[in-house]
Amino acid sequence: MANDKTPMQLIARGVLSENPIFRLALSMCPAVGISTTVMNGIMLGIAVLFVQVFSSVTISIFKNLIHPRIRIPTYTLTIATWVTVIDLVLAAYLPEAYAKMGIFVKLIVAFAIITMRLEMFACKEGVKDSFWDGLGMGIGFMVGMMVIGMVRELLGSGAILGYDVLGFKPLLFFILPSAGFFVVGLMMAFFNWIELYYKRSKGVQ
Amino acid sequence: MKNIITIVIRLTVSCLLAATVMGICFIFTSGAKKHNEHVQEQRVMYELLGFKAGAEIPSSMALHEVYRYVVTAGGKQTIAYVVPQGGGKEGSLFVSINLDGTMAAQKELPLSEAQALDAKARLAAVTAAAEPGATVIFADQTIVVTKDGKRIAYILGGKFQGFKTFVNVMLAVDPAFTILGLDVLEHEEDPGLGAEIDQDYFKNQFKGKPFEALKNIDVLKAPIPDDYLQALNGKVGEEDVQKFREQYKDKAVYALTGATISTRAVADGVKGIVTKFAYRINVLDKILKEQQLTVSF
Repeated sequence: MANDKTPMQLIARGVLSENPIFRLALSMCPAVGISTTVMNGIMLGIAVLFVQVFSSVTISIFKNLIHPRIRIPTYTLTIATWVTVIDLVLAAYLPEAYAKMGIFVKLIVAFAIITMRLEMFACKEGVKDSFWDGLGMGIGFMVGMMVIGMVRELLGSGAILGYDVLGFKPLLFFILPSAGFFVVGLMMAFFNWIELYYKRSKGVQ
Repeated sequence: MKNIITIVIRLTVSCLLAATVMGICFIFTSGAKKHNEHVQEQRVMYELLGFKAGAEIPSSMALHEVYRYVVTAGGKQTIAYVVPQGGGKEGSLFVSINLDGTMAAQKELPLSEAQALDAKARLAAVTAAAEPGATVIFADQTIVVTKDGKRIAYILGGKFQGFKTFVNVMLAVDPAFTILGLDVLEHEEDPGLGAEIDQDYFKNQFKGKPFEALKNIDVLKAPIPDDYLQALNGKVGEEDVQKFREQYKDKAVYALTGATISTRAVADGVKGIVTKFAYRINVLDKILKEQQLTVSF
């Protein structure tokens, strides 16, 4: 099954039409749990981006050597290896970034989105396409986390990126994990509505 | 059957491969990681003592490490301390104290302050000094800060249960056990809720709390008054900060919004660390005085 999309289309697909959070509805746990501020969203997004790209490329290189029966354990192993390597390298050479990102990096092992991209894409396609797909999915995830983080930070703590913009806290409820579901749900509806609107305007039913 | 064997072999090979990659990475990075942790610890320590990054540390100030061990021999426990020797002598003292606060044994250890920093060499020396056949377990270490030979502060480390896992903190207290500073080194509380314990406005609430107030510390479920919050965030002048500290020093700690359990855990944890330390250092001081041992602090 050859892939006929250009790198740009692969990236655009990850961000828009197959956005991991809003369209594929994967990795909802972090989306709901961590995205209380924009900064958290960006940090987790960067971490996921790296792990996704590295894992996609690795699996794509070794795709012919992986026994189909044990592909899921192999994916998990690959992701865990990359997470550990990134964790160690960050702790050793970028201690300041690690102080902020350390806790997020460790969370990634259990992310559904990465395993799913390996299963759906990287194990069938070439190395280059897998790289672009991983990049697109990573960016898509980051954008999703940032948008959710923005809504929750603004409504929950009245701030954006730590800067107080409203001067008061409108709804503390939005900081709590349960509010994450509401925000994600509304965002999904919004994305679907945009798609519908776009298709209608093009005259497609 | 053949299938199973291939699967087993392939999975084993992948695991070995992954282990090799992780192992190599660990070997290359562990040195730098340890170094970073050490630098970080030093920075936090000086910040707690009031020296911001880059500030000059007066040469009359000295740090002395005191190590505490639990020695078990024949069903009897003693607490052993390794303290740097004073009076111009190199080397450390091994002071062992019974649980009822009386002297058990004391010996000179051929360990200079620099050598004592190495955990392995220290443990070997303590084991040699203890009774034969005793089990020696490292408990904790405290740093006594002196200036011109007089004690100005203690630096304590400690761990306690937070809302989720352990919270690792470092504390500086003055000789009367008033808190000079608190820093949270490690925690895994909820982002946006309990994780606020590492924010300045929370940590600074503990600054200047006297020992008596800390013994009965309570958590108040109310929003922090605006003017106090400004002061805690360091947005007002030094004088005003002092004024607020004086005003609130005997009051309860304000709970973090939505994270009362984390707040209470930190308050109780800090209280535990300081009260236990106050008891221990008093016992140690008494023994040192009775036995007329000279130490470097």
